[in-house]
Amino acid sequence: MTLVLSLLAVAAALLVVSAVGVGTSVSFLPPERAFFLERLGWGDALGCAVLIAAVPIALGTGLAPRWGFVVLSAVAVLLGRRLRLTSRRRSALPGSVSIALLGVIALGVAVYALRALTEPMWANDFVAIWGLKGKTIYGAAGYPGRLTSLGFSHPEYPLGLPLLYAGLSFLTGRWDDHAMALLFPFLQAATLLVLFGWLRRRGASPTAAGLATATVAWFEPLYSAFLTGMAEVPLAFGLVLFGTSLADALDDTDAGAIRRLTAAAALIAAIKNEGLFFSVVGAMLALVFGKQRRWKIAIPPLAAALLVRALHWPWRSRIPLADFEGGLFSTSRVWDSLAAAGQLLGASAWIGLALVAVLILAGRSVAAGNRLLLLAGAGVAAYLVIPAFAVRGPSWLIETTLLRTTAALAPLTAAAVAARYAASPSAGPVDPADA
Amino acid sequence: MTRRGIAGGAAGVLLALILLGQSWAEIPRRIRFLSAFASKELAVRRLGGSGTAFDRRYFSFLENARRRIPRSAKGIVMLNAPANEPLTYLTMYQFAPLPVSFGPVRVGLEPSVPSGWFVAEYGGGPAPGRDLLPEGTVWGPAP
Repeated sequence: MTLVLSLLAVAAALLVVSAVGVGTSVSFLPPERAFFLERLGWGDALGCAVLIAAVPIALGTGLAPRWGFVVLSAVAVLLGRRLRLTSRRRSALPGSVSIALLGVIALGVAVYALRALTEPMWANDFVAIWGLKGKTIYGAAGYPGRLTSLGFSHPEYPLGLPLLYAGLSFLTGRWDDHAMALLFPFLQAATLLVLFGWLRRRGASPTAAGLATATVAWFEPLYSAFLTGMAEVPLAFGLVLFGTSLADALDDTDAGAIRRLTAAAALIAAIKNEGLFFSVVGAMLALVFGKQRRWKIAIPPLAAALLVRALHWPWRSRIPLADFEGGLFSTSRVWDSLAAAGQLLGASAWIGLALVAVLILAGRSVAAGNRLLLLAGAGVAAYLVIPAFAVRGPSWLIETTLLRTTAALAPLTAAAVAARYAASPSAGPVDPADA
Repeated sequence: MTRRGIAGGAAGVLLALILLGQSWAEIPRRIRFLSAFASKELAVRRLGGSGTAFDRRYFSFLENARRRIPRSAKGIVMLNAPANEPLTYLTMYQFAPLPVSFGPVRVGLEPSVPSGWFVAEYGGGPAPGRDLLPEGTVWGPAP
């Protein structure tokens, strides 16, 4: 099959997945116009979540995965309608940016699509980990026990992304690791929709929200050919969903915020191990800033993340971790890690970080932005400290992973920084009809 | 200058820095690659891409062996595969979902082949009972 035909098949599958997600989203986002763009992004996330869940359920019950997805989609949409949120609040659409900024954002997505789709996904970690597991699940219609002891394939990693690959392949009827790369610009676009929509809803001007979105759209350390196929782009999307819904839940913006937070926690825990870490940090932020609602906000997402981890138990590693050892930790190793990180960044990266610092200092203190900054800061701190446990030394882990792991924090950081330029703490676009 | 002015300037410079830092030169190369390979089958696109650049002949062997081995195979024993981590991963990926075992490299030391498994020998020459590929041989299934 030629690439064009395969791409059409994957695009059709992604459209169906999105439509299911948008249908389900009525129980997660209020029916206000201000949520329009976020609904599209959340629709992609929820649809992917349904597909991820459908694969093990179908394989476990002997149902063809394609039919499993149909059945679970119907259940999700019906349940969504039953639990749908209502709102009498009137709000305006998020509005648009200038044609120039819109063009810059669209071109950023197009250039990433070109990078992602030039050739079949090729990164070492795709071939050894994410793609290998997805292809095996699809081809074997199950999860062979040997994968739980295949050290280089990291059996301790969660299976959300491999299940998503397998699910898309079940929908299209073939494993095509080239056309399936379309998933990545699709997730990038969903990230940008949620980022821009949330910033506008929380009072950022079209220019501030547009500049943040354009900067993320062109952020090559994340949206690169190399990271296509790996878990960073999906995690970056999940972290934006998680961070923005945490900020919404803490500010009690709408009745769906805690539901969204819970769904996002489950998603990030299914994508990467640090998803659970961010869920714990989110719960701690909820306990500190949540006032009377602290437990109500902290418990559901943490429980969801832990449940996802527990569901992975049958497929978890049966071998000890080879790359990390608790007894190796020392403060001098943390310093080694920091020194290696300092050497890793080039001049342009330092200038970029200095500009981000200027943007943080020049903005005003906004609770939502501050909390997102704390969440992103906790992620950076973890990525700098974890190498102190590395068997092959802190420098090795810093050099091989730091740039890509911290790159996944870029959309979350952009949301945090741009939120400091919101017109008022919770002001959103106003519907002229209310005037 | 107001704080908003400073912020606007910093945001503009940051976006410009990111735009200027793009690997623009690769874009025409990517377009050329896509237009040359888009109409080819998936394996040819992988053969021409980055994932096999370190040893295209070995990938060609893997793909030819994969096509020759029936779906009913229970696994693959690889002989004389290069001892190189990325090539090991590529081998496992290429044959997935079938399990792959790497046999001894020393000539004449035949590994025990489980029932229903096939053997693929990289660089192997013609021999009775073996299918000859351009880059090696395949035989099986083991009884």
